[in-house]
Amino acid sequence: MNGLLLVARREVATQIRTRAFVIGLIVTGLLVAALSFAPKVLGGDGDTYKIGLVNSQQLPLHTAAPDIEFEWRKFADEPAAKQAVLDGDVDAVLVDDARVLTDGEIETELGVLMQSVNREFKLGAAGVAIPPLEMQSVGADTRYESARRGIATVLVLVLFMLIIGQVVMVAMGVVEEKGSRIVEILLSSVRPWQLLGGKIVGLGVLGMINLVVILAVGLGAAMASGLAAEFPPGIPGLVAAVLAWFVLGYAFFATLAAAFASLVSRQEEVNSVLTPLTMVIMGTYFVSFYSTNDPTGTLATVMSYIPPFSSMIMPVRMAATEVPMWQVGLSMAAMVLGVLAALAFGAKVYERAVLRTGARLKLGDVLRSR
Amino acid sequence: MLEINELRKRFAGGPDAPGGKVALDGIGFTVRPGEMYGFVGANGAGKTTTMRIVMGVLQADSGSVSWQGRPLGYDDRQRFGYMPEERGLYQKMRVAEQIEYFGRLHGMAAPVAKKATDDLLERLGLTERKGETVQALSLGNQQRVQLAVALVHDPEVLILDEPFSGLDPIAVDALATVLQERCRGGVPVIFSSHQLELVERLCDSVGIVSAGRMVATGTVEDLRAAESNTLRVVVRDPAPGWADGLPGTVTVHGDRHTLRTAGGDDQEILRRAVKAGRVEHFGVEQPTLTEIFKEAVA
Ligand SMILES: Nc1ncnc2c1ncn2[C@@H]1O[C@H](COP(=O)(O)OP(=O)(O)OP(=O)(O)O)[C@@H](O)[C@H]1O
Ligand SMILES: [Mg+2]
Repeated sequence: MNGLLLVARREVATQIRTRAFVIGLIVTGLLVAALSFAPKVLGGDGDTYKIGLVNSQQLPLHTAAPDIEFEWRKFADEPAAKQAVLDGDVDAVLVDDARVLTDGEIETELGVLMQSVNREFKLGAAGVAIPPLEMQSVGADTRYESARRGIATVLVLVLFMLIIGQVVMVAMGVVEEKGSRIVEILLSSVRPWQLLGGKIVGLGVLGMINLVVILAVGLGAAMASGLAAEFPPGIPGLVAAVLAWFVLGYAFFATLAAAFASLVSRQEEVNSVLTPLTMVIMGTYFVSFYSTNDPTGTLATVMSYIPPFSSMIMPVRMAATEVPMWQVGLSMAAMVLGVLAALAFGAKVYERAVLRTGARLKLGDVLRSR
Repeated sequence: MLEINELRKRFAGGPDAPGGKVALDGIGFTVRPGEMYGFVGANGAGKTTTMRIVMGVLQADSGSVSWQGRPLGYDDRQRFGYMPEERGLYQKMRVAEQIEYFGRLHGMAAPVAKKATDDLLERLGLTERKGETVQALSLGNQQRVQLAVALVHDPEVLILDEPFSGLDPIAVDALATVLQERCRGGVPVIFSSHQLELVERLCDSVGIVSAGRMVATGTVEDLRAAESNTLRVVVRDPAPGWADGLPGTVTVHGDRHTLRTAGGDDQEILRRAVKAGRVEHFGVEQPTLTEIFKEAVA
């Protein structure tokens, strides 16, 4: 175990000092922060109405429509108010609590809102209280649908980028050690599983650092921008689930990447030997991406149980819709089995192939040897 | 005592050698504690393959390696120092960090590994370079780092594949001194080399391998004794025909006649030489390791 930890520590210490890692971390942090502010910055304008008042009282419009911002401006007389309407400075002007001036037709939403609030206000003043209609949904809770979709989309991207990035690092590290024959000395002091495990753990820790930074920056920025107010409940649970799924998915893909990489001795060959694996990761990514739009569809549901696809699709489903705990548990159990199988297979291939430097080895030959 | 018994190894052949290639065909020798063992042989003779098998990097088809009377295992090898033929270091890692890292992998505590690293850097003349990355070093200096990696954990046995190749004469001496010290401390040292004068100077015992077989092994004196020694006589301006009837061959340089022979009655030869002219040299010449080697692998 000690050997494994030493190897892992070297990986972390070496990578964390590289400019690539630091810059990568800063860039992703900024990107995520920008994403968290974007909806507010872009969507903010459309939902503001400017309303002028001439000899009138403000209507309690904001109480009726809390999502919409209202700006009120007082005008001394009607001509001044008219000019402001024509110049587009205000959307509408309320005159003498009785008339509304607009430039052409009023926006339907604003018109309906003003009419109904005015009616209610006047009736209230006359002592008639009307209980508001109670809204009841008999379908799924769709209040957070768009927020959920947004979170799921960002999540797919982050998980995909991190997994493919770290997995390629593992493969390159394996080939670096094999190609330069450092393995010959390493394996006279540690066992193959320690070397393999240490590398996977070390680079996994770096991936986790990345992920935690992304989540922290994302949530922090969302709170700062007010976007967090629209988040569905259960965000802490989702964060925990995302971390767990990242660990599982990464462990699966990284182990196989190390096994495939141990078949070659030159960095130039890494890409081609990893192709089948990167295809699977890409496939997982595409299905996950599709699932953000159709999280309750058959494809998303079925694939969220099948390792290794489940490692990305299940967290996306969890973000995009509500998934019962037993489904998550079942899928996670299947994925853990998948990881164990990958570890057994990967360690076997790695151990047999990593000392056989030279031409690219065939997987079948390696499995048959010894 | 490190005992290597009857190692055999065949590599799977490619399209050109369908039957496979026999690399080792019964290699065996013994190295005692405190013995410096020189492992020599032509290119492709099987030195590296043997050392890799000893270090567990390769599996032998048959044969065994034992250390202190027991089969050599993983835990024993952890206490061995190994320098592979193809040098391998992390190119982007700093010199001192790298040596310490390998020390720690061999189970040293951090401060101990650091101390050992500093000592070795000093001994091998690398102290000023300790903060540089390996890729910034010249080949010979990288080689010194590689040696430090093999030596850092104060190994019980040293297996070094061509440790002297690429070193300048100063570094050769420094390394020779370090190895002799370790030897004196009871560590068996095996190293392969093509620099036979160096092997002759440093080693107590030598093994000569040819085409996967041991053709000779033993102390340098034993190997010499096994060779027929040459008697060399130099006579100045001798009477013509002085050597008629004597065994061996005569070469002439000006008035200096040199007789070389492996047999015959040396006293009779001396009498004839004295009678013939002025004897400048009369002595038995021991063959050099190079001569023994050429003889053995011929
Ligand atoms: N991985 C391998 N696959 C096939 N043949 C090999 C392999 N490694 C070594 N051989 C063969 O085994 C034989 C012994 O090689 P080895 O490297 O042990 O020689 P050596 O004595 O170390 O030579 P040198 O002095 O050149 O280093 C050679 O014929 C070589 O071609
Ligand atoms: Mg060799």
